[in-house]
Amino acid sequence: MSFQIKTLRTVLFALLVSTPVPAQWFNQPDPRIPLTKDGKPDLTAKAPRAPDGHPDLSGVWIRREGESTPPRYNDKGLAFTLSWFMPKNAEIPLRPAAAAIFKEREARDGGGRPPERCLPYGVPSAMLPPDPFKIVQTPGLTLILYEEMVDFRQIFTDGRKHPKSPNPAWYGYSVGKWVGETFEVETVGFNDQAWLDGLGLPHSEELRLTERFQRPTTGHLQMEATIDDPKMYTKPWTFKIDFNVIPDADLIENVCENEKDAIHQVAK
Amino acid sequence: MKAGFYLLLYCATLHAQWVNLPIPGTPRTPDGKPNLSAPAPRTADGKPDLSGLWGVNPGNYGANIAADLKPEETQPWAADLVKQRSVNMGRDQPSAVGCLPHGPSVNTISFLMQKFIQTPNVLVILLEELNYRQIHLDGRALPKNPDPSFMGYSVGRWEGDTLVAESTGFKDSIWLDLAGHPITDSLRITERFHRLDFGHMEIAETIDDPKTFKRPFTVVIKLELVPDSEILEFVCAENEKDREHMVGKPSDPTPAAAKVAPAVLSRYVGSYEFAYPENPTVTGTYNITMSEGALFIDTEGKARTALIPVADTVLYWRDARLEFFEDSQGKVTHFVRVGSAGDLRYTRKPDRK
Repeated sequence: MSFQIKTLRTVLFALLVSTPVPAQWFNQPDPRIPLTKDGKPDLTAKAPRAPDGHPDLSGVWIRREGESTPPRYNDKGLAFTLSWFMPKNAEIPLRPAAAAIFKEREARDGGGRPPERCLPYGVPSAMLPPDPFKIVQTPGLTLILYEEMVDFRQIFTDGRKHPKSPNPAWYGYSVGKWVGETFEVETVGFNDQAWLDGLGLPHSEELRLTERFQRPTTGHLQMEATIDDPKMYTKPWTFKIDFNVIPDADLIENVCENEKDAIHQVAK
Repeated sequence: MKAGFYLLLYCATLHAQWVNLPIPGTPRTPDGKPNLSAPAPRTADGKPDLSGLWGVNPGNYGANIAADLKPEETQPWAADLVKQRSVNMGRDQPSAVGCLPHGPSVNTISFLMQKFIQTPNVLVILLEELNYRQIHLDGRALPKNPDPSFMGYSVGRWEGDTLVAESTGFKDSIWLDLAGHPITDSLRITERFHRLDFGHMEIAETIDDPKTFKRPFTVVIKLELVPDSEILEFVCAENEKDREHMVGKPSDPTPAAAKVAPAVLSRYVGSYEFAYPENPTVTGTYNITMSEGALFIDTEGKARTALIPVADTVLYWRDARLEFFEDSQGKVTHFVRVGSAGDLRYTRKPDRK
C-alpha cells in the first residue's frame, strides 16, 4: 500500500467521521449536578443519589480520551479495539475458530462491521466510539440512549429474570441489580451478528456480558465488563472503560441516513 | 388500489411480543388479569404517570392524518405531492424502503408500539423500530434554531392532568403519514396526552404547518395499553427487501380475464380464515360468494370485490394473485395470496350446513 494513499485515506476518514459529533445542546442546566461556588458543574463532587439511595447514574456520558486513554481514532481509521481497554500485555483468549474470524476482519481494518450498513453496534461496541450516550435511571428500569443510530438499551431492574429463550437481539436482554455502590448488569440473548469491537472480535449467541458500573464522582463513570462466551473464548476476560459526564447537554439525533460510506471505502 | 395492498403488506410486519411477562405495578382483577379500567397511576409528585407499553389505534388517520380536511384545505403543491406518492405506491416511502425512522408519523402507525418511561425531567418514548424520542419536562423552552431531526425537539408541560408537548425542528425528508403528506421546516406539532384510566390514553394532536395545510387541525388518536408485554427489537436495515419487489403502477392492467366454467368457480365459494403469521391470534374471515356466474370476495361482510379468474385455479383480487388448492378428494382446502413479503395462506373453514 502506498504511503500517500494511506495518509490521504486517513485524513479523509478523519474528516468524514469528525464532522457530525461534537455539537451538543448547550447550557441546559441539570439540577442534579452539584455546582462549585462560582456556579460551574462540580465534577469532583460525590455522585448524586437517586431517591432510593443508590447512586444515580443518570446523565450524558462520553468515553474518556486523552494521553493515557485510547485516542479518538486509531492510525488505521475508525476501528476501535477492546485490547486498548485491557491491562498491558493481557491476551484475549480467542479459540482458534474465533481467532480466524478476527484475523480476517482485522486485515480489513474492521471493514464490513455492521454499522457500515446502518446496522446496530450492539454492546460493548456501542460504548467504544467517543460518542455521547445518555443514562436514564428510573425505579425498575434503566435506559441507555445512544446518540449514534438513535439506538437504545433497556436494563430491567424490576426483579425479573432473563427469559428462558429470548429472541436473539443486537442489544440482548439485560437485567440489572445494585451490589453496594455498583450497578451490575447481566445481558444474554444476543444475536451472533454484532461485533464486540470495531476491529471484529466475534461473539456467539452464547455470549453472557456482565457490566459493572460505578460513579465514583459526579463527573466520572467507570464500566468494568466481562465477556463470557465459551464458544469463542477459552475463558472469561475483562476490560475497563472510563467515561466523562457532559454536563448540561443532551443528545443530538444521529440517524444512519444514507448508507453511502461503505462504497467509498476502497483503499487497503 | 395497490395502495391498499401495500398497506396490508406494511401492516403485517411486526407485533409478535413477549407473552406473559407479568409487569409489577399492574392493577389486577381478582382472577389475576390486568385491570385496564383501574384509575390511571400517578407519580410521586402527583402527576399522571403515562408510563407503559402502548399500542396505537389511529382509526381513519392511519391512512391519512388529514382525513378530516377538505381537499382545498391542503396547499396545492402538497396535494400534488401526495398524489404523486400515491402513484409511486410506496416505492419512495423513506421509512419503508429506506429504513429511515418514522418520525412524527409514529402516532398514526398501528404496527409500531410505543413504550413510555416517564421521569420528572424527561418522558422517554421507546419505539419498536429501535429508535426513541424524548419529551423534556424540565421547563426548558424549545430551542430557537434546532438541528433538524426526524423526531423533532419536544418540550412538555402539565396542564392539569394533561401533558402538553410542543415539537418543532423536523427534518423534511420523511412523510407525515402513510398517505405521504410532506413535512416542512414550519411544522409545529402539539400533542395533548391524557391517560383516561390504566388501560387507555388519548392524544389530541394538532398539526400546524402553514406550508402544507391552510389551517391547523387536530386529530384524536387512541392508545391502548399492552399489558404484561415488552417491545421487541426490530431493525429495519437488517431486512430491507421490499424495494426490489415494488415494481407496479396503479395503471398496470390486471391480467386478462379467462373464461372459467361456473362449475369450477363455484367450488371456491365458502369462508376462509386468515391469521397473521406473526400474530396468529389476530384473524380475519374472508367470504367468497357467487352471483350470476361471477365470484366475489368480502372481508367480514365488507368491501365486496369481484374476483377475476385468469386460470382454473388462479383468481385476481384487485392486483393480488390468489392460487387455490384442493385435497385428494378434490375439495378446496385453502388459497394462497402471493406477495412480496411472503405468501399468505387463507384456510377454508368447514362449510356450515
